[in-house]
Order: sequence, then C-alpha cells, then structure tokens
Amino acid sequence: MKKYLVAYSIALQETLQRRSTLLMDRLGGFAIVVSLYSFWNALLGDKPSFLGYTRSEMLTYVLLINVLRSFVFTGRGWQLVGEISSGRISSYLVRPISYHGYSLALDMAQKTVHAVSAFLEVALLAWLISGGIFLPRDPATWALFAAAAVLSSLVFFFLEMLVSSLAFWTSESGGPLFCFELFLQFAAGAFFPLDVLPEGIQRLLSATPFPYMVFFPARIFLDKVPHPEALRLLAVELAWLAAVVFAALGLWRQGVQSYAAEGG
Amino acid sequence: MAMQAQLTYRLGSFGFLLGKLIRLLFFFAFIMAVFSHVSTVAGYTLVETALFFLTFNVVDMTAQIFFRGVYGARRTVTEGDFDFYLVQPCSPLFRMVCSSVDFLDIITLLPVLVMVGMVFARLPPLSWTRYAAYGLLSVNGVALVFSVHVLVAALAVRTQELENAIWIYRDVMFMGKFPVDVYARPVRWALTFGVPIAVMTTFPAKALLGVLSPAWTAYAFALTAVALALSGWFWRDSVARYTSSSS
Repeated sequence: MKKYLVAYSIALQETLQRRSTLLMDRLGGFAIVVSLYSFWNALLGDKPSFLGYTRSEMLTYVLLINVLRSFVFTGRGWQLVGEISSGRISSYLVRPISYHGYSLALDMAQKTVHAVSAFLEVALLAWLISGGIFLPRDPATWALFAAAAVLSSLVFFFLEMLVSSLAFWTSESGGPLFCFELFLQFAAGAFFPLDVLPEGIQRLLSATPFPYMVFFPARIFLDKVPHPEALRLLAVELAWLAAVVFAALGLWRQGVQSYAAEGG
Repeated sequence: MAMQAQLTYRLGSFGFLLGKLIRLLFFFAFIMAVFSHVSTVAGYTLVETALFFLTFNVVDMTAQIFFRGVYGARRTVTEGDFDFYLVQPCSPLFRMVCSSVDFLDIITLLPVLVMVGMVFARLPPLSWTRYAAYGLLSVNGVALVFSVHVLVAALAVRTQELENAIWIYRDVMFMGKFPVDVYARPVRWALTFGVPIAVMTTFPAKALLGVLSPAWTAYAFALTAVALALSGWFWRDSVARYTSSSS
C-alpha cells in the first residue's frame, strides 16, 4: 500500500508543478459550464421550473456537472493505450506492483487536484449566480452523494481500463475508446439531465451503469431521491463496480498473456 | 495519404466516426427534447435554434477537416520535423496546418449538410441575398477559425510549448453551439470582440434570419481581414526567429 501512496504523492506534485497545463484544462472546462449554465438560464426565462427542476436546482445540476466531470472522468485509458502500443507497458509488468493499483494512484492524484479546482470554480459561479444554488440541509444527503461520486469514479476508471485493454489485440483501440468516452458522457448525464430525453431512452439507459456516474449522484444531491431509494441505487452501483472490475481484470489477464511487447 | 491511412485503420476510424456521429445525434436529440417542452429559447424557435447548432457544426467540422495538422504542431516542432518543412519546396504553414486532413469529418459533415437543407426547407421563403450572406459569413467564419489555427501554430514554433492552446480554443468553441444571445452581456461581448466565436458561428445564422445589421456584417468581414493579417505576420515573425529546437 505504501508504494501506491508514494506514487499518488509524486503524481500529485507533478500535476501541481504543471500549473499552466492545469490552468488551461480548467479554463476549458469552465467555458463548457458557463455555456450550459447560460443555455438553461435562457431556457428557464421567467418560468419557475422545467421538468420538475426549479431554477436553483437546474443551475445546481449544471455546476455539479463541473465537479463530477472533474472527479469522475479523469481515467487513464489513453495512457494505457499508448503504453501498450509503444511497448512501454513491459516495464510495468516486471515491477512488483499491480498496474491497476498504480494507475489508480495516479488517477486519484489527478482527481484530487481537478476536484478541488472544480469546487473553487463552482464556488465562484455560485457567488455570481443571482438565483442562488441548491444545497441539501441533511448531512446524510451529502454522505450519500460523496459515496455515489466515489463509486462512479471507480466504475469509470475500470470501464475505461476495460475498453483500453483492447490495445493488447489491436493498435486501433483509440477509436473505440474515443467513441466509448463520448457516448458515456452523454449517457451519464454530463451535459444535461437525462429526464429531458424521451422515456424509452431513459429506461434503456437505466439498464446500463452510465446514469450512475453523473445523473444519479446529482439527483441525490438535489434531494430528488429518497434516502432508502438512494441506498438501493448505491447497491446497484456497487454491483456494477464489481462486474466491471471482474471484467477489466479478466480481460487484462488475457491481454497480458497475448502481449508481444511490440515496439518495446 | 491521410485518407489512405484512415481507410487502413478501419476499426480505429470506425470508432472515431461513430463517436462524432453520437456527439452530433445526442445534441440534436437534446435540442429536440427540450423543444418538446418549450416553444422558444432566448426568443428562437426549434428550427432557428437547430440552424444555429448546425451552422456551428458546418464551420467547426470544415475547420476540423482542413486544419487538423495544428493539433500536432508542438510535436512537429520538438521532434525536428519542422526543420524539414522549412527546406522543402512547399509552404511550411500549409504543411503545419493542413498536413493531416481528417476525412472522417467529411463523412460526418454530410448528414449535417442534409439537416441544414431540411432546416432551410422549414424556414419561410427568403430572398437569395439572405442565403448569399449566410454562405459568405460561413466562409468568413472558417477563415477566422483558420487565423486562430495559424496563431496556435505560430505559438508552437515560437515557444515549443502551449500544446493546450488549441484545446482551450476547442472548449471555448463549445459555446458556439448555442446562439450567442443566450449568454449574459459580458460573455456576449467577449464572444464578439475577444474570442470571436459569435462571428464564426452565430453571425451566419443571424444573417439568414435577417437579424444581423449591415454594420455587424461589415464588422465580421473586417475582423477576419485583420485577424488573417495579424496571424500571418505573427507566423512569419515566429518562423524568422526559429532556431531549430531538436538538433
């Protein structure tokens, strides 16, 4: 465990050292939030609510998107694809560490920095927003939201690892990963609440792990989900996590067996 | 060559193509879904909002098709390939900006153009001058995007850094998906005079709808002329100061 903590610490320092890259990353994300916020603001106009979301709830959803995107969608998929394609993965395979554990440590460092930055951005926007934002009063809601966010983050990490492992068999795995990431962002509710979509599509998506990544944590935060139901959803998310971890590790083992260290 | 490469990597190309189509379809489904509950957003109807969204896609995708090379500009400089560009009998700017044409975006652009045609059919009858203004301002938008790409390429040559500059532009460009009227006044001002996303994506659709004054039309063309001249000068100056970074 100590070696992963050291990896986390080094990665954290490295991320903080590249301040201009971080600043530019955050600036880009901020533009998306301002854009979505403005759209919903214009859409709400003088209306008190839209699809069951009051103005402050809808605007809070947009701000939550910024936090959850920063905390959930920072996987290591593209790095894994690059390391397999270039053969650099060989150096990790001979080390006395778990590649997934090591990657998770690096990912957590990135998440830490980005989530803190996102909170600061959201605080700034919340201060600027005239209608105010929705903050749950019950501490249990905060705890449930935090648990959902952590689980979402792990599900995304292992899902990305699963798709990226295709690189063991083909040098063209970047395409499927790109497609997967884009689909996931929409299906997770990272651009708009999924209630906007027709009911059939909503039902279809709820049978996948995707809405658990942004949509459900955000609804928990907005007190739209009663606590017993939130616990049930967390249990479902935990089951998804177990399934995804099992699949990712299984595919990884098979991949390593067929790995030929091309280019390495 | 770029096309042959993309045809060779079928699985990869299919994944990228599918991803781009998913992004387009999801946003379109979102707009349709929103308008099943409201009649206007910022005073624009579904057809008008779709026109703004599709115009953004036409300008953005055209730029993606032709100016993709800038995304690897920093690598081109730091790995020394730019030194070869300079001694070859071909414009280094052309090599840097247009070297990797993204043919997948041509395939993605086709359904967008079909949808633009469908939106045109749903608009009330308009004079040909409106369509001409739309076409000219769209071309003007692409030219403005080109000047941004030249600026980013020049920065790469000058600093061998700032690889994120193009990604900031991509993220800020996201704001062009919606008509600029949805934004608060300071943001609208910034998008018209600072980072002129509004001129690139909103102005053509506004001209077609007849809500863009001649003064703003003149501003759009003047801005592009100045931006092209300045980015061209910055590029030439950056190349003149370049002392090779890799060898």
